Amino acid sequence: MKKRGIGVGLSFYGTGYGNGFPDISRAIVRLLPGGRIGIYCGVTEVGQGAKTAMIQIGAETLGVTEKDIDLIHEDTSLMPDSGTAAATRQTYNTGNAIKVACQNMREKLFEKAKVELGLNSTAGLALEKGEVVLSFFPQKRISFKRLSEIYKDETIEAEGEFVAQTTTMDPDTGQGAPYWPYTFNACAVEVEVDMNTGIVNLLRAVFAQDAGRAVNPHLLEGQMDGGFAMALGYTLFEDLKLENGVIKNNRFSKYLIPTAMDMIDVENIIIEDPENTAPYGAKGIGEPVMIPIAPAILNAIYNAIGIRITELPVTPEKLMKAIREAEVNN
Amino acid sequence: MVNINFTVNGKPYEISIDENMRLIDVLRDELGLIGTKEGCGEGECGACTIIMDGETVNSCLVMGFQADGSNIVTIEGLEKDGQLHPVQRAYMEAGAVQCGFCIPGMVLSTKALLDKNPSPSDEEIREGISGNLCRCTGYNKMLIATKKAIEYMKGE
Amino acid sequence: MKLNIVGKNIIRVDAQAKVTGKALYPQDIYLDNMVYGKTVRSTKPHAYIKIDISEAEKVDGVLKVFTYKDIPNKNAHGVVLKDHEAFASKKVIRIGEPIAFIVAETQKICEEAYKKIKIDYEEIPAVFDPVEAMKEDAPKVHGDSNIIYHFKLRHGDIEEGKRKSKYIVENIYKSPMVEHAFLQPEAGLGYLEEDGTVVVVIATQYPHYDREEVAINLGLPEEKVKIINTNVGGAFGGREDISAQIHLALAAMVLKRPVKVIFSREESFLAHSKRHPMIMKYKTGADENGYLQYMEAEIIGDSGAHCSWAMNVLRKAGVHATGPYVIPHVKVDAYAVYTNNPYTGAMRGFGATQVPIAHEQQMDALAEKLGMNPIEFRMKNIFRRGSMTATGQILTDSVPLDRCLEAVDERFKFSQLWKEVK
Repeated sequence: MKKRGIGVGLSFYGTGYGNGFPDISRAIVRLLPGGRIGIYCGVTEVGQGAKTAMIQIGAETLGVTEKDIDLIHEDTSLMPDSGTAAATRQTYNTGNAIKVACQNMREKLFEKAKVELGLNSTAGLALEKGEVVLSFFPQKRISFKRLSEIYKDETIEAEGEFVAQTTTMDPDTGQGAPYWPYTFNACAVEVEVDMNTGIVNLLRAVFAQDAGRAVNPHLLEGQMDGGFAMALGYTLFEDLKLENGVIKNNRFSKYLIPTAMDMIDVENIIIEDPENTAPYGAKGIGEPVMIPIAPAILNAIYNAIGIRITELPVTPEKLMKAIREAEVNN
Repeated sequence: MVNINFTVNGKPYEISIDENMRLIDVLRDELGLIGTKEGCGEGECGACTIIMDGETVNSCLVMGFQADGSNIVTIEGLEKDGQLHPVQRAYMEAGAVQCGFCIPGMVLSTKALLDKNPSPSDEEIREGISGNLCRCTGYNKMLIATKKAIEYMKGE
Repeated sequence: MKLNIVGKNIIRVDAQAKVTGKALYPQDIYLDNMVYGKTVRSTKPHAYIKIDISEAEKVDGVLKVFTYKDIPNKNAHGVVLKDHEAFASKKVIRIGEPIAFIVAETQKICEEAYKKIKIDYEEIPAVFDPVEAMKEDAPKVHGDSNIIYHFKLRHGDIEEGKRKSKYIVENIYKSPMVEHAFLQPEAGLGYLEEDGTVVVVIATQYPHYDREEVAINLGLPEEKVKIINTNVGGAFGGREDISAQIHLALAAMVLKRPVKVIFSREESFLAHSKRHPMIMKYKTGADENGYLQYMEAEIIGDSGAHCSWAMNVLRKAGVHATGPYVIPHVKVDAYAVYTNNPYTGAMRGFGATQVPIAHEQQMDALAEKLGMNPIEFRMKNIFRRGSMTATGQILTDSVPLDRCLEAVDERFKFSQLWKEVK
């Protein structure tokens, strides 16, 4: 016999190191030969898409395309420290540092353009497709490429820094502002529980993630799918088995993670509500995307069979045991 | 040492290898084809997937000498005349790539699937790539990529 | 705000290198005159050790076997507390702890030498259960207490909360230890530049942190250490602690040859942190109108043999223990505890992935007692702009949780389905 049920899960997630610990990101922007823009920043691309997102934020601020930017982020001797690629902090913290650096760079470029264009002031200057333009008399314009040629013996660069605002919590009461900003989400799933085998099948999932603003919706959806899959494994089968400190399942033939056959299509919804302190309103989502899934599945299992599973993962053995116990108690 | 003759990405090779060498080591250490990745060494993750005589195999489970006389395609062999294979292009466009470590194997499994079955169902796509583990993407963008690739291949 | 690039689905800038197999991870880099390393790890969870490397060093093709004696400066690292030794010196505290690093001309010779390393283990009582570990008479992993950290949250007046609660639900929830299982096992290279700068090529989440630890352990100024971060084959928190960085830098510095190490999948399981398993005791109460009144939670997290991020993880669990709900009276105690288990640290969600197993089931249990639809009940209690969290923080900016929940309800037709089932 199979029983179906639906469940919902919500979560919030505070970004950053937290608790008043100095959480600092830095970036340097430099005009490169040929008019290209170099962003030097210790942002790590772990697969989440930080490299692309950071380039998008830089390109937006400097009025160029992603193809005009080189992000130098591999070598500690070439780039400033931007903190760890963790705590869902890169988009918000390092994105802010890059935005600030690019805004400062804009002022530097305006100063040089003022001289080269013979202007009295930088007022009215704007950046447009790799050029500095006097917005109310657009014939007055000079390209980044031309500026890089004229100033080839001088480094035109600007720095940017962002320090997150959190406070240390009181050690006795925990009162304080430990993280900023917070990201929110909600997920609903439908499951089918096989009462004879204890196998839980996911039938449907709708997942809404607050992003403040989506820097790159495809990348964001990819994170949502990936977070969902990781949460699916966490809920239904992943369990590092220990025996006196020995890991019993220390390889992929024994420690199973979800395959394409285990995953389902997830209906992803991106909710945008720009955060004022964030770069273009964008908040991080890397960790939050895995959080509300497990509770939604657990609540759906309860809705299907009337048994609350309080211990993860919900393996078929564990579920069958719970079903039998419930039968005995009734 | 044993001598083997085989073709990799259209190029014939005659090399002498240690008989204990696995095919993945021959490809990576001897031929420098580092696009083939090792994720588990026991045929579970599919990162080392290559196409051998038209079939996908885990190159960590094949001994080097077993490749004698075979025709092998690795990720480096998919581009034609400087053009990406439709599956590669589709993976890029669909956003199916994240950390990228599973991608060479995943792309080859997708290609091998479409070579045999040019219009697979969703279920068949999932099955076709189920031997390739990915921890980042949740696989759904790979389904979208595969469907995109099908369209591109029809147009070719 | 009109945006041109932010918000667009531009193709990942690293996608082409990745789909063509050209993207380099540390294992893909081969240098001239390169030798290989292999880490020797503890096979016992808690023991005093004596190490004899003499036979291993005699194996033809072995350049050197490094142990704690070879660390020039501080044999200690760790993201919060410096409670990892680069090489165990007197005592091992978990299975998998590095004891030695063999460097030889080939990987095969490393394996041969590995068999000739003699480690004499004098086993001592170990502790594997965090609840046991909290007791005074438990074997101690470090120092004189296994309790690393106790996070206390006190908000409002719990007794008043109880009085106001018509419905109270109570349960104990448990979450497992979880492996990151990123696809790219740890690998790296160390080499020297002409001016003596030590370079470590690695896939890491935080290159500047790695630089600091290498510099401290080797006694070098930071400018003499360079970390090159390659493509990273997934991380999820599992590449925040030091893996092979110090060993590679040390070997390159001493031997003046490029050294490469690649962990097998089994070794990767031993080498990096895991997700903290947690035991979460919850009591949650709501009044007759469906408003949450109080919540009390005790959370115990198993940190294994090292602290890693335990304080921060249990703090995050404690702060997020309420879930995204306004609860006027809250008491949380969260503990991080040492055991002789594999060490736990950062993993996606960082404590905030464990507590929803509890708080979201508590919400549904209360909704059921109130005879309410789970979404209707949540809507009464969720954070909105201007809400105060249990730490007293006011959510002044972007708080679109109501929109998330409404969007899910509408697309899923949750409330409608709920009514039909009832």
